[in-house]
Amino acid sequence: MTAHAKTGVTLAVVCVSFSALALAFLTDSVQTRQARPAIPLVDTNFLDRSTTRRSYADLVRAGDDLSDFDCYACHDKKAPPPLRLDTDGNIIVAKEHADIVMGHGRHGRNNNCFNCHNETNLVLLQPRDGRELKFEDSTKLCGSCHGPTLRDWDAGAHGRTSGYWDETRVKDRQRKDCVNCHNPHSPRFPSRQPAPGPHPLKELTATAAPPGGHA
Amino acid sequence: MGRRSFLRTSAVVTTGLVALAASLKPLLEMNDFPTMERFLQKYYKEMTPQDMAKVLQRIEDEVEKQYGLRPHVRDLKPLEGVEFVYCLNLTRCIGCRKCVHACVAENNESRDPEIQYIRVLRLPDGSLDIDKADHFYAPESVPEKGYFYMPVQCQQCKNPPCVKVCPVHATWQEADGITVVDYDWCIGCRYCEAACPYWARRFNFTKPSIPKERLNPDMAYLGNRPRRQGVMEKCHFCIQRTRAGRYPACLEVCPAGARKFGNILDPNSEVSYILKNKRVFIQLKEELGTAPRFFYYFDV
Repeated sequence: MTAHAKTGVTLAVVCVSFSALALAFLTDSVQTRQARPAIPLVDTNFLDRSTTRRSYADLVRAGDDLSDFDCYACHDKKAPPPLRLDTDGNIIVAKEHADIVMGHGRHGRNNNCFNCHNETNLVLLQPRDGRELKFEDSTKLCGSCHGPTLRDWDAGAHGRTSGYWDETRVKDRQRKDCVNCHNPHSPRFPSRQPAPGPHPLKELTATAAPPGGHA
Repeated sequence: MGRRSFLRTSAVVTTGLVALAASLKPLLEMNDFPTMERFLQKYYKEMTPQDMAKVLQRIEDEVEKQYGLRPHVRDLKPLEGVEFVYCLNLTRCIGCRKCVHACVAENNESRDPEIQYIRVLRLPDGSLDIDKADHFYAPESVPEKGYFYMPVQCQQCKNPPCVKVCPVHATWQEADGITVVDYDWCIGCRYCEAACPYWARRFNFTKPSIPKERLNPDMAYLGNRPRRQGVMEKCHFCIQRTRAGRYPACLEVCPAGARKFGNILDPNSEVSYILKNKRVFIQLKEELGTAPRFFYYFDV
């Protein structure tokens, strides 16, 4: 084959192959785009910023129903309610208060009602040092035993605050009380369902978990 | 010219033209072309207040046209005497990922393909081997026994590698410590994404898709205004909230109060208290010398 002919053949091969590749790219016939399943919008429950519980002070501020706290609607002012313990020494909660499940302290060692409630005046709370606290000041009661936590809470390091980090902008920085998150009868933080995990752009196969797990 | 030379030349020219057309294929797929105004927009640091007012107006018009909701876009400047620091209590984090989704909702991040600035890592108790963390945990309920959870987002490093590598200075660190991105100056080269040791940077491979009903209209120029295809974005400490004195969205939603944020230059802030009084602190990858502003700590 002459050099001239070789050039011609090479040129023809190159032209044909380049054109074929170009057409393949243009018409998308080579690229296989994986169809990704649509990512559902997250449940708005996971965007909720409110606390799990409302404190007595919250209810008062909102003008809500306080009948749950009207102890003397049923109790007798002159007769303190009796404390009933079962054979193991555990508190028996009266059936009228069946919604209260006791679980305070490891092994339930702080389940005694009158460790916190004042039996002679049920609308008050009693820390061990003899003070009498109103329900709005329940944080001081919790702090009378949980001192380091109260100290942290006062400084803003424990619990939730909402609104402003900048104290000059607002007088009340909305520090949440203990009972806004913790049920005083069973204070352990309840476990919950987590929000959905990340959906990476490229679906990772079960065996090919990358070292960093990132996408 | 002979027949052969004509055929040869035309074959070469045709191939060349077809190859050129094929190489321009990505442009066909782009559906987010900038307008001439945006294309000729000045760099953030060179804009006069009048320029900025016009730009904010343009952004508000664009968002209204696209989403049917007129936003309020502001250009917030850093506050005097403020340097932000984030403290995260690893004893309290329960791994619920509410922070991840609150961030997405607040900052108008793309839902599909998904962009999330925060990634929560699950580590077994006693280990700090980040590279072996589980990003995709999905148990019935959290927290799980034997694990702890560590949310990671942009650490707003004092010595940011992403700022060093940006070829156009589209990203820089502001006086209050937040590393920001001028979305209209970013060229989308993704060098910052490669440089970041915390994988904090997110790139918009397509036009972000934000559902109209979940758009947050309270926006900032350097913050949560909707981005376009081909730009980087990342956590900016909710600049539209924090420069107005408010907490970032991730902190507000955290049910366990694990996140703490504030001004480190204020001795009475909660972050100052934490850094003075808590004992065990972790800064991720501190051996790299990035000096992150994120302090992970334990309560005991």
